[in-house]
Amino acid sequence: MAHDENLIQKLTEKARIIRRDAVEMIKAGDGGWIGGSFSQADIIAALMFHHMKHDPKNPHREDRDRLIVSKAHCCETVYAALGEAGYFSKELYQSYGKMGATLQAHTERIVPGIEYSGGSLGEGLSFALGEALAARIDAPRDSSGRPIPRYRAFCIVGDGESNEGQVWEAVMASVHYKVDNLVAIVDHNKFQSGASVEERMNMMPWADKWKAFGWDTTEIDGHDFEAILTALENADKVKGKPHAIIAHTTKCKGVPSFENKNLHFCKLSDEMYAEAMEALK
Amino acid sequence: MKRNYVLETPGEMKAMYQAYNEEMVELSKKNGKIVLLYGDFPHGAAGELLQKEHPDRIYDVGIAEANLISTAAGLAGGGYLPFTHCHSIFAIGRAYNQIRQNVAFDKLNVKIVLCNSGMLLAFMGGSHQIIEEIAAIRVIPNMTLVSPADPISTKKATAAIARHVGPVALRLSGSPVPTMYRDDFPFELGKAAALTDGSDATIISTGMVLSDALEAVDTLEKEGIKVRLLDMHTIKPIDEEAILKAARETGAIVTVEDSSIIGGLGGAVTEVVAENSPVPVKRVGVKDRFGQAGTVPELKEEYELSARHIAQAVREVVKKK
Repeated sequence: MAHDENLIQKLTEKARIIRRDAVEMIKAGDGGWIGGSFSQADIIAALMFHHMKHDPKNPHREDRDRLIVSKAHCCETVYAALGEAGYFSKELYQSYGKMGATLQAHTERIVPGIEYSGGSLGEGLSFALGEALAARIDAPRDSSGRPIPRYRAFCIVGDGESNEGQVWEAVMASVHYKVDNLVAIVDHNKFQSGASVEERMNMMPWADKWKAFGWDTTEIDGHDFEAILTALENADKVKGKPHAIIAHTTKCKGVPSFENKNLHFCKLSDEMYAEAMEALK
Repeated sequence: MKRNYVLETPGEMKAMYQAYNEEMVELSKKNGKIVLLYGDFPHGAAGELLQKEHPDRIYDVGIAEANLISTAAGLAGGGYLPFTHCHSIFAIGRAYNQIRQNVAFDKLNVKIVLCNSGMLLAFMGGSHQIIEEIAAIRVIPNMTLVSPADPISTKKATAAIARHVGPVALRLSGSPVPTMYRDDFPFELGKAAALTDGSDATIISTGMVLSDALEAVDTLEKEGIKVRLLDMHTIKPIDEEAILKAARETGAIVTVEDSSIIGGLGGAVTEVVAENSPVPVKRVGVKDRFGQAGTVPELKEEYELSARHIAQAVREVVKKK
C-alpha cells in the first residue's frame, strides 16, 4: 500500500536537510565520511523521522527503539538527524571532529541519541542483538507464547564491514534465539575503503547469505522511501525470526557529481563544498 | 606470627568456577537483572537454575567469543547485568577489541568471567594456559580486574563485582584450589588483604598461588625471616597504599602470580614501587614462556611457582636490602 504523499515529501525534505547539515559538519571538521554517510541518509531519515519510537526530550526512556550504526564512521548524517530531531543544538556541528568535541569522528554514546560507540567494524550487530534480547526479558507474551518486546533494535551494517567474521556470528545467534525485534539494514553501497566490494572481497550473493542463515530477508532500493517504509513495516509483521533489509544504495547519494566515486573519507575543497551545497539547497 | 582471615589448616579443595556458581545461584535469584551468557562453556549451577526458572536470562552463543562479549555489552545497554563465561584465553585472545571497545570504552556494566585463567591449568597445554591476561586487561582504561585466591574469596569477589557498577574481569583458575579463608574474611574490592604482618620482606600474591605463598611464609619464619603476606585480589585498581606501606615498612618485595611477570602483577607492583618508594623487588611468575601439559605440581615446579621458589626469591631479595 502506497504511503501518504505528505509523509514521503517530509522524509525527502528531512533527508535533504541531514545531508546538507552533514556537509557543513564535514567542512567544519575538515574531513569526514561523506560517501557512506550519504548512502544511508534516506534510511536514517525514514527511521528517525517516522518509523522509530523515540523521544529527543528523553533520550534514555527505556522503551525507545534503538538505532545502532555499526559502520560508525558514517556518523555525520546520524548526528545531523539527531540535531534535526532536537537531541542537541546544531551549534555542535561546528566542533565536529575537533579536540574536546562531543561529536567525535565515530559515533559515541556520550552523544544524546547515540546508542553505540563504534569504530571497530563488525561489532554493532552483536550489540544490537544484545539490546534486542534485553527488550524481551520479562516481557509480556502473546497468545503463542512469544515475548512482546518492549522495543525494537535497528542496525545499519556496511557491505564492506560484512567482511568481518563477527557479523556472521551475530547473524547466526539472532536466528537461533528467534530475535524478531531485530532489523539489520545492509547499506549496500558497493564500495569499501579501498575498492569496490566486489573487487576487494566478493560476497555475492548478499540476500542469499542472510536467507540461508534463516533471516526474513528483502532487497530494496535504499533511496526509495516507499520501499524503505514498506520493508520496515513488513519486518514488524513477520514473527519468530530477525529481519534483514538489503538496501541497494549509491555511495555519496545526493550530490550527483560525487556519486559512485568512492568518496570514502574525504576533505571538502571550497569547490566541492559549494557544489554539494548547491545540490542540496 | 599471627595469621589474619585464614583457616589454621587449608580446607576443602574446590574449583573456583564451582564456588563462583554457588554464589551466582544466590545472586541470580535475588537480582532479576542478572543475565548469564556463555561461549559454549559449561553452564554450572547458576546457568542450570536460570535455564529452568528464567530461560530469557541465559544465552549460549556457541563458540563465538567476539559475539559473546559484544552481545553482553548490548544487554548492558538495555539495562541488564550480564556475566559472560568462556575460556580466558579466548576472551582475551579472540575478543580483546570487543572488551575494549564495546565494554570498557563506555563503562558498560558487563562482568567478564575469565574461566580457566592462568598458567596453572593442568593437562590442557600451552594453547589454553593464558599468561597474558593481567597485562592485557589492566592496560585498558575503566576496567577493574579481580583475581581471587580460593573458593571463599571467589564467592566474596563474585558478590562484590555484582554490586560494583562498571566493567569487571574476574580471573578464575581452572584447577581445584584449597579453601584458605575463613567465612568471615572481609573482602573489599581494591583493598589488599594482609594475611601476616612481618617486617623483613613482603610477598604480594594474586590468585591461586596464595597457598604456596603462605607455605613460603611458614618456611621463612622458621629461618627467622618475618614476611608480610598481601593477597592482592584486586589487580586494578591496585592498592597502592598497601604496596607503598609494605615498601617502607619491610624494605623488600616479592610478587607471586600464575601469569607472565611482564606486565602482570609483578609489572603492576614494580611500577608503583619504582616511582614512589624504590626497594628491591623480585617477581615470581611465568618468565616469558608459553605453557605445556602437566599436573599442577609439575607446572609449579617447571615454571618456578612453588613455595620453594617463592621462599628462595624472598631470601634473595632480603639480601639486597
